[in-house]
Amino acid sequence: MFAYYLRLAWLSIRQSYGLSLLMVLAIGLGIGAAMTTVTVNYLMSANPIPTKSEQLFYVQLDNWDPHEPANDNGDPPDQLTYRDSTALWAANKAFRQVVQAQMTAVLEPEGKDSLPFQVSGRANSADFFAMFEVPFLFGGSWDRSADESMQQVVVLSQSLNDRLFGGRDSVGEKVKLAGDYYQVVGVIANWQPRPRFYDITTGAFNEVEEVFVPFSLISQQKISRNGNTNCWKPSGEGYEAFLNSECVWTQFWVELRNEQEKQDYLTFLNAYVSEQKKLGRFERPVNNRLSDVMQWMENQQVVAQDASLMMVMSLMFLLVCLLNTIGLLLAKFLSKAPQIGLRQALGASRQDLFTQYLTEAGCIGIAGGLLGLVFAWLGLQGVQALYGDEMKGLAELDLAMVGLAMLLALVSSLLAGLYPTWRACTVQPSQQLKSQ
Amino acid sequence: MLLMKQLGKVFHTGEVSTHALREVDLEVQEGDFVSVTGPSGSGKTTFLNIAGLLEVASSGLFLLDGENVNQQSDSQRSKMRNQKIGFIFQSFNLIPELNLFDNVDVPLRYRGFDAKERKRRIEQQLELVGLASRMKHLPSQLSGGQQQRVAIARALATSPRFLLADEPTGNLDSQMAQSVMALLEDINRQGTTIIMVTHDHGLAQRAKRQILIKDGRVSELTATLHEPLHIVSPSATEHSAKVAGV
Repeated sequence: MFAYYLRLAWLSIRQSYGLSLLMVLAIGLGIGAAMTTVTVNYLMSANPIPTKSEQLFYVQLDNWDPHEPANDNGDPPDQLTYRDSTALWAANKAFRQVVQAQMTAVLEPEGKDSLPFQVSGRANSADFFAMFEVPFLFGGSWDRSADESMQQVVVLSQSLNDRLFGGRDSVGEKVKLAGDYYQVVGVIANWQPRPRFYDITTGAFNEVEEVFVPFSLISQQKISRNGNTNCWKPSGEGYEAFLNSECVWTQFWVELRNEQEKQDYLTFLNAYVSEQKKLGRFERPVNNRLSDVMQWMENQQVVAQDASLMMVMSLMFLLVCLLNTIGLLLAKFLSKAPQIGLRQALGASRQDLFTQYLTEAGCIGIAGGLLGLVFAWLGLQGVQALYGDEMKGLAELDLAMVGLAMLLALVSSLLAGLYPTWRACTVQPSQQLKSQ
Repeated sequence: MLLMKQLGKVFHTGEVSTHALREVDLEVQEGDFVSVTGPSGSGKTTFLNIAGLLEVASSGLFLLDGENVNQQSDSQRSKMRNQKIGFIFQSFNLIPELNLFDNVDVPLRYRGFDAKERKRRIEQQLELVGLASRMKHLPSQLSGGQQQRVAIARALATSPRFLLADEPTGNLDSQMAQSVMALLEDINRQGTTIIMVTHDHGLAQRAKRQILIKDGRVSELTATLHEPLHIVSPSATEHSAKVAGV
């Protein structure tokens, strides 16, 4: 019988194609606008490392100005000082720990014709790769001893390895970085967590870096760090003074496998701060934080407030489109009242008629959903064109979003069809048959 | 087969109540061909709608094949309508976007027949009304008489025992009307009970029984023409005799 209803729906849509087209267009526009903003929000707020997002914690300590908090909401600073992060790393109290900062360097390729070029990089300790589940194409991470002994080793991104070595296994090769030779120990496979959760402070949606080197090399000024630096008092003269200053510019992550480990680590942090207080630092009340990945992303407002607002507005637009669809469906179905009366006379129950007309509403919804996908794709292209690289990778419809769009269209149209269908099915057949 | 006792129908519009049918007592036997006449607004169509289970009586008893239809649910009435009753309308009421085959198919779908059985019945009925060669035509491609024949084929497709015709010749010229009437008579001869509302006294007189509805009251005109009478209500009989005597 459902096939029969589908055929009747097709005949009805074809018969009043103008009205049907208007409804498909209304639903399509609503779904298109909603899916454009929902997709951006969905990708912005996606869990970038679902397997262990609840075991990875971003560390915050409050070393800030005793007279003024680092953030208006009382949160500690977003980063740690060099001396604190290296001290925590040296204490080695967590299952895994990463100290890191963004860096940049000039890379000089081999060959007379190759010109030096700037590469984006990250200075990080060895656990970075295991902790954040970085996939390797060749080789692997360096180990803790390489960090401690400040070895000049490097992990390359796949794209840089393609550029420098034509994609072959380059482990053991040397690359000249910032004037020094570094030995390649690994090449990571294409990896682009979105959001790039491990360093939100330099942009949650930036590309993953091209080179990774041991963090300890920063202390020797072998490489140039960059990224955000915030100070609440002068850092003093010279690099050594800067490293020992209260300026925050490093990020520190720990991997804690259970609640007990988390509590233990928090106890350790409190003890550390208490010790530092004795040295005249950390003059503000103890305010240590351990935020897991999703908490940290929320804290940093990875999903921009205006993006959320746009999503709410687009969903309201969808509602307006659906209200229009209800009106159009009502007009269409009530114009079928004589036929409904006839079908009742010929033996159709109200349930039969309800199913028939709801099937038609569903077909219109699916057509609207398909059109909505086209509009959503166009909308996302527009978002990409408007925001450029920042939205690259965020403005793409994946299979889940396509499924959601179709489901949204179907459910919306069925909801929109409920009232018109109910009205149509309550017509008095005897009146319709006489007036036809 | 059909029994109405003290049946009444009142329509309420705001504070105004209109009695469309009053104290109707009527019995129709298997194989009857009953014509119903009466002035406009007398209650003929209301009577037919109640008989066809399209409306529910406000009072009284209505038994169809022994079942009290006033107490049935919408779906039960739909099922009974589909299984026992066929409708023919003055304006044919064919679905314009469906071809003849699909129009006749409509009641068969609700009956739940399989595709093979539906096809057999549709072809058989369209053959009966002489339109088998046009089953892929749309209603708009047929004359009025042909459209009414399709409506008759549709009404008969489910093999109903009871055919209700509401002015079936009202939109046809006299030649077409005679042809449709002949078809109905033929159908009745084969055992189908027919109740036909008409304004055409000539056609009404060709029915086995003639009923007059006036001011919502039913009386039988055939009292003096045929035996036996099936009128149950003494008041209606009285009224009928009075009418016959005039």
